[in-house]
Amino acid sequence: MVANGNRDGRQGEALVLKGVDPETCMIVFKNHWAQVVKILEKHDPLRSNTSSNMASAVQNYVEHILFLLMEEDAGQAGAMGPILEFVVMENVMERLFLWSLRRQFTDDMKLEQLKMYEMIVGQARQPLLHHKPVLRPLMMLLSSCSGTAGPEVEAELVSLLNQLCCVLAKDQSVLELFFHTSEDQGAANFLIFSLLIPFIHREGLVGQQARDALLLIMSLSAENQRVAQHIAENTYFCPVLATGLSGLYSSLPTKLEVPGEEWHCLHREDWLQMPTLVQFLNSLEFCNAVIQVAHPNIRDQLVSYIYNGFLVPVLAPALHKPTLEEVMTTTAYLDLFVRSVSEPVLLQTFLSFILLHRHENVHILDTLVSRINTPFQLGTVSLALFQTLIGLYCEDVMLQLILRYLIPCNHMMLSQRRVVKERDFYSVSAAKILALTPSCCSPEHSPPPLRQLDSILWSKGTDNKTEETFLEEDGSGYSCVIGSEIYLDVNYLHYLYNARLGISSCTRACQVWSAPYDGEDPPPEEYQPSALEEAGARGRQAQKVNPKRSHPHPRPRPPCPPQTTDPAPTNQLELEWDDSYDAGPVVSPEAATAESSKPPQLPAAEPPKHIQEMRRTAIMLVKGSYIEESDFQDDVMVYDLVAKKDARDTVDRRRPSRETLPESEESEIDSEFNLEEDHFKESSLQEKDEVPLSNGLSLPLHPTNMEVNSSEVTKGSKEVKAHVADHNSNLQSPLAEVGDDLMGQYEELIRTLGSDEAGTGGSSPVKTVDKEFRNPVVTPMEEDEVDFSSFSMDTPELEKQHSSLFGTKLCSGSTRSHSVPFTGPFVSVLLSRLENMLDNSLHVNLLLTGILAQLAAYPQPLLQSFLLNTNMVFQPSVRSLYQVLASLKNQIEQQASTKKDFPKLITSAQHCLLARESSLKGQDTNSGDSRECSPLEAGRMMKSSPPPQPKTISLARTEVFATVLFTEFLKELAAIAQEHSILSHVPMEE
Amino acid sequence: TYLNDFWEKGRSDGEEQSGEQQQQRASPARPSFGKKQLPSIPKNAVPITKPASPAATAQLANGTHASYGPFYLEYSLLAEFTLVIKQKLPGIYVQPSYKSALMWFGVIFIRHGLYQDGVFKFTVYIPDNYPDGECPRVVFDIPVFHPLVDPVSGELDVRRAFTKWRRNHNHIWQVLMYARTVFYKINTMEPLNPEAAVLYDKDVQLFKSKVVDSVKLCNSHLFDQPKMDDPYAISFSSWNPAIHDEAKERMFSHKRRPEDHQKGLPVSGLSWVKPGSTQPFSKDDNPPLS
Repeated sequence: MVANGNRDGRQGEALVLKGVDPETCMIVFKNHWAQVVKILEKHDPLRSNTSSNMASAVQNYVEHILFLLMEEDAGQAGAMGPILEFVVMENVMERLFLWSLRRQFTDDMKLEQLKMYEMIVGQARQPLLHHKPVLRPLMMLLSSCSGTAGPEVEAELVSLLNQLCCVLAKDQSVLELFFHTSEDQGAANFLIFSLLIPFIHREGLVGQQARDALLLIMSLSAENQRVAQHIAENTYFCPVLATGLSGLYSSLPTKLEVPGEEWHCLHREDWLQMPTLVQFLNSLEFCNAVIQVAHPNIRDQLVSYIYNGFLVPVLAPALHKPTLEEVMTTTAYLDLFVRSVSEPVLLQTFLSFILLHRHENVHILDTLVSRINTPFQLGTVSLALFQTLIGLYCEDVMLQLILRYLIPCNHMMLSQRRVVKERDFYSVSAAKILALTPSCCSPEHSPPPLRQLDSILWSKGTDNKTEETFLEEDGSGYSCVIGSEIYLDVNYLHYLYNARLGISSCTRACQVWSAPYDGEDPPPEEYQPSALEEAGARGRQAQKVNPKRSHPHPRPRPPCPPQTTDPAPTNQLELEWDDSYDAGPVVSPEAATAESSKPPQLPAAEPPKHIQEMRRTAIMLVKGSYIEESDFQDDVMVYDLVAKKDARDTVDRRRPSRETLPESEESEIDSEFNLEEDHFKESSLQEKDEVPLSNGLSLPLHPTNMEVNSSEVTKGSKEVKAHVADHNSNLQSPLAEVGDDLMGQYEELIRTLGSDEAGTGGSSPVKTVDKEFRNPVVTPMEEDEVDFSSFSMDTPELEKQHSSLFGTKLCSGSTRSHSVPFTGPFVSVLLSRLENMLDNSLHVNLLLTGILAQLAAYPQPLLQSFLLNTNMVFQPSVRSLYQVLASLKNQIEQQASTKKDFPKLITSAQHCLLARESSLKGQDTNSGDSRECSPLEAGRMMKSSPPPQPKTISLARTEVFATVLFTEFLKELAAIAQEHSILSHVPMEE
Repeated sequence: TYLNDFWEKGRSDGEEQSGEQQQQRASPARPSFGKKQLPSIPKNAVPITKPASPAATAQLANGTHASYGPFYLEYSLLAEFTLVIKQKLPGIYVQPSYKSALMWFGVIFIRHGLYQDGVFKFTVYIPDNYPDGECPRVVFDIPVFHPLVDPVSGELDVRRAFTKWRRNHNHIWQVLMYARTVFYKINTMEPLNPEAAVLYDKDVQLFKSKVVDSVKLCNSHLFDQPKMDDPYAISFSSWNPAIHDEAKERMFSHKRRPEDHQKGLPVSGLSWVKPGSTQPFSKDDNPPLS
């Protein structure tokens, strides 16, 4: 075999060779070569069988020849050494390659040749690849290996390719040659790159080597336009990478084994145990790295493929799977992915998917927000996802979640706008928050040993005599030293410290934001709901006119007009359903039944019997009467089906004629609207057309000869189709397509009908709309609008809806009637869950309070004043954090007064939480994954505390734990409020 | 401890390059908690009234207030101090004492007018029921010859400017500003130093020469040990290149640092919102769109 000799032997020889003069070497080389040539000429493998003797003879000679070549130094001024010159002149390498090609070109043969090149490329003292007679046979060899080969050959091939990439990275002049050589051959350009692609998603060393090598080329592409262009236009690199994610994703478990109720996100130690997830994350990390180093062309293309080839077709449907468990699992994956991605461009891709993408015409974000309110793990995992999102300090996220609802300042009394920016000089808000401390938890009530050690003596006379003199000197009553001893909550100092850290880092991060959100910038007047809508509409039109603007990334697209305008009366049902969770723990099942049997105020609002039945079931579930999750799931599915059926019935009832109309007729009737719709279709078509790249690859990506797990990809897409089909059959999609652009379209319509009326209505835009709603200008579309408005605006239990909503689909965004101040579904859902704090499990409360504290640490005055300013006067319909806290305090006081052993239980719970914290702290130091642990838990609860006593209390006593947590949360919030009063007002440079 | 972190920053900011250099004593190593004296509890901070809310029933529990009162006071004073920093009062530097947040050391440089070249050290005393008490007092270390400065105690008549101290309206920086103004705009009404008042009105030349003497006297005591034995008391020393050159260097480089800092530090925050827009991902130069 040719180059099989071991290296040790060579090194031995190297020593021998030292001092041997070049002429001698040359003579030996020529001599050996002559022998080889003799054999090659005599024994053409095609004509006669080459005996193994001959082969091994050749091998011996070649070994020596190559060794001499490797050991030769470059000539003067970079000229070729004589041996290399001979190799080039005589075309030695190509002849050797052709000879082995003519023999049976087995894997062993390939292996030999690969190793031979790996050796000379890696060890030669002069550049060899610059010479075509060396490069050409190498390229031929490489392309001959591109087909199917055994694992050994693959490993060797990748190893050699990696080596070649290293050479390229060091010496770019070789690059041109690589291209040219490929051209000569008529094969694909830049062979080494193409050969690496199939190994992108490989696990183990081979995959890692391939990815490393590709990364080298990626960073090369950043500087070399030609490489970048080639990769973007002539290779399958980006599609393979992105669809590979889809393939790998499809092999992830669809249902996670959840270790315990407390579990809410995938920690490092969790995913390390899941090889498929590790593999996925490897590939994701690789994408991240590519985006980081590659040329913008490649980066953009990859990001676009990830969006269109993974997020939209795979992840979006996965987030809408039928069972709770599957959806929970997907949510946990999404959370992990967002946490794993570091490159802003890739993060942006994920975020715009979450914030702007619509699945079945519902924003992913709305769906995710609404799930916070679901029981069991889904709610918790959703909370954890939002904790991650809020922790990104991303303006776009905060804008969509909360700020856009606060900008118009409609949530507060008009007179309060000037208060937004005011600073709380005297910690008034903090005092008010802390005054909510339940009496059973107030500092002086805490029994020793717990509190005593937590407190500290602030007294006179701890210092030396200088202080005495000082006091004497200043005997005028301005003494600042207190005479009596008081106890202070040292624990609170830690909260202050954490608050300081939290606010500082958040403030620093938010420096990149576009506006301060202080009630003046963005100006509330300009962003009154109607103005927003118009802006949105303008944006959409602009996009229609010039769809190229968003090419090739349909991602950051402002909301698109929905394809149909049918409102979704079904949502009312969902509202009802979710309402039951919301009110569940507070309202007893009996009460709930009673309530639901009340005479209906709106026919549509009254859920059918079976729904009521299920609602009761849900209440019982929440109350803990049922334990088996599977029972619940069935209910959910049944509910889902029933809801869909009902929805269809409702629609049928409402628009009997329309439902039966053939499509063409319908579009005629809706000409006004469809004009715009057609525009949209057109533009979306254009976008579709644009997605294929200039190299003619089509988006669905069938990299036929690439090694992607194509079956898995197909599986994924089948699932998608099935899902879509399922929904279509249930008439889900037309119903869900309310979309938040309804208002936008409506106003557009108004503009076209009577532009003067709408145009002047800057101050009372809602009224204008309102009027239009009631004015029966009869077009089918408006008929729908009336339906819509009838339950979104005039529902008597408006406030209740706001607070409870599962119907975020309905309420979110601009769809909501803006006559009612609303701080957004996210805040609403959070506060709803907080309201039920006493019934929530400990970890839910930890997450909830953690998220709220995270939000409170944001320096934007709009957010700060909404969450922390206890003096702010809000509109009556707006629920504030302080209100919720106050009502919690009352609930707690009630509990405490009715339960005799409450103080004792509190003490046990405090001990239990202390123990929990110390164990958590231990974990923290072990796992270095700082992003994964909620920042809250680490800093929460009493520090510098005594070793916990082993008193036990069942975690099922949620009200007890919640009380302790509530008290701590108050301190946390107060500390944040206090730090804001000094930090947020210091100019940044300090 | 928070207070002092802040104040140290404020101080380094507030140093000025005059002929003399202020010299700070090295702060002593501070024990974590408990050493620091905190002022007594202020009167209940009664929040500004607000229309009835569901929470109106929640009263200020005395218990929590007793425990947290000192924190409220400390943060109120801290807020005042941040305001002082923000105001960038010309020629005025203050520094809270080590022992109490209610006592601030200060120095004022008079740059022109009758008191030109005067460097007056003073102490601000803040009442412990701040902000609900009287206005803070300002006492000069050496009684400056001035109609409004008590010739014996050195106290400046601040109260005439702040007859009633109003929380949220009056701030300590205003007192400091006032202390500066009196040296540029002489008022002789109801003087604490009648001699000075009379002289100013009747014989300005003599007044001027008395002021010059007073300024000389004050400046001659500049390098004295601080009146208070407090680690954060302001003390002056003559220029010592070994100490001051480096400090000066740092002060000058400090001004340039912020931008350098921003370049080097990875920005942890994210935004793709176009300024003036409230649409997410509205920036034109979003990286992938470029």
